[in-house]
Amino acid sequence: MISNESKVKTLLKVDGLNVIYGHKKEAVHAVKDVSFYIKPGEIFGLVGESGCGKSSLGKAMVRLVDPASGRIGFKEANVAQLKGRALQEYRREVQMVFQDPYGSLNPRMKVGHAITDVLTVHRIGKNMEERRERVTELFEAVGLEPDWAWRYPHEFSGGQRQRICIARALALNPDLLVADEPVSALDVSVQAEILHLLKELRITRQLAFLFISHDLAVVRNLCDRVAVMYNGEIVEMGDVSKVIDHPQHEYTRTLLAAVPSF
Amino acid sequence: MSEKGKSLWGDAWLRLKRNRLAMVCLGLVVLFTALALYGEVVYRYHDWKDISPAYQKTNLDLAYQAPSSEHWMGTDGLGRDVMARLIQGVRIAYKVGIITSLIAIPIGVILGCLAGFFGGKVDDFIVWLYSTFASMPGLLFILAIAMVVPDNGLLGIYLGIGLTTWVGLCRLVRGEVIKHKEQTYVQAAKALGLGSGRIIFKHILPNISHVIIVTFSLRFPAAVGTEVIMSFLGIGVQGEPSWGLMIDSARMRLWQGMWWEMTFVTLAVFLLVLAFNLLGDALRDALDPRLND
Repeated sequence: MISNESKVKTLLKVDGLNVIYGHKKEAVHAVKDVSFYIKPGEIFGLVGESGCGKSSLGKAMVRLVDPASGRIGFKEANVAQLKGRALQEYRREVQMVFQDPYGSLNPRMKVGHAITDVLTVHRIGKNMEERRERVTELFEAVGLEPDWAWRYPHEFSGGQRQRICIARALALNPDLLVADEPVSALDVSVQAEILHLLKELRITRQLAFLFISHDLAVVRNLCDRVAVMYNGEIVEMGDVSKVIDHPQHEYTRTLLAAVPSF
Repeated sequence: MSEKGKSLWGDAWLRLKRNRLAMVCLGLVVLFTALALYGEVVYRYHDWKDISPAYQKTNLDLAYQAPSSEHWMGTDGLGRDVMARLIQGVRIAYKVGIITSLIAIPIGVILGCLAGFFGGKVDDFIVWLYSTFASMPGLLFILAIAMVVPDNGLLGIYLGIGLTTWVGLCRLVRGEVIKHKEQTYVQAAKALGLGSGRIIFKHILPNISHVIIVTFSLRFPAAVGTEVIMSFLGIGVQGEPSWGLMIDSARMRLWQGMWWEMTFVTLAVFLLVLAFNLLGDALRDALDPRLND
């Protein structure tokens, strides 16, 4: 399936990753021995039903969850072992956008301040003036009015909030964006706008995506390659057209059969 | 994106303004605060001039006079004006309420935040600590601390009440922080590389500030009440007109029909406690972010 993998220039390479929650008797093995890679500027889809471990895998990529074992290779470093300053450096390269645009923004903080806060922590921009300018740029990049930056989250719609979350993730100029079901909480028309934005960012910023979704139509429309996850394991992986049009694994077929349009 | 955005505090204020009872209570709180400030000015002025203030001057000829146009709330057993002493009592009550809050609230908030955010061993230790404090009977503990403090006056009360009343707030804050740290905005902040201190104090704390404000408005009258009890028992304030001392002295001749001192002081305590409690309840409703949509 991934025959000449070693020859491809990869951005992120995951080998035998395991994520386990809890201890001993109550342990839940959420991600089992998962391996995959993402090329620079590529949109890599990850599909599966809820509870299959795809979110855990996404969180492990940004080290919100510590992997139990395995290797996450990113530019020669093993991300699974990073600590302190090195981890902080890594956070500039890989960012995450979450599913729930309502919970992802601090309700008591103006959205522009949420971004300048991140810039301050990473010492980007010499002073507040420069950071504010950066916020303006980011807002324009995601298609929002820059004046809106100094408002509170509750004044925005779901789609606008998701744009703000994307702007915040872009603040650090990452190479890879982990998007955990970024559109599943939005209306269909808004979904299309956000997906369009992601495609645009991929071109303008050479951004790669790990796009986690349960929506096969969206994945097919957006992704280059896709992995199908079931019960913590990747059961099938390959080019999106191949996997969706000629599924090899039993579970992929079941998944496809569950969607009326396929 | 309709009109110019209002802050969440603005929204809360609008909700509070609609509650008429709360506004009456707020008026009373403002009145008491003004009286406390006035009392402080009078006290400072006499202290500065080094003269004995009117509310301390004894004149046995004027003892136990019923309320009149000259002494609106009558005079006490040593001929001192009850109203002037009552106002000084507001000053003492506020001092106790504010200073004990300045001790108790930071302890409760900081320990609660640390316990909730870090969990594990830190949480175990802090829960053990506040459970130990909570297991001792409150007033006894306060009395013990007040006895140990050398200067047998207000300092003992401040420390006694301050060091024992952080437990409830600590528990509340811990619970709220546990709730918030699982929310995506905190997860996002972690993924963005923000430090724990920044996440706790700049991101989570503003979201739970309503808990702190409500707790303040509820613990303030409780602290005042405790001071009254302690001064009544003779362990608290000495030489200054505290409400507790006034109640203590008023009870001597109550049976002879000298009703005014007791009546006005208890009325003042009652109004202060009631106003703060009702306002606290209204604030809780107004500030609760779950009502926002």
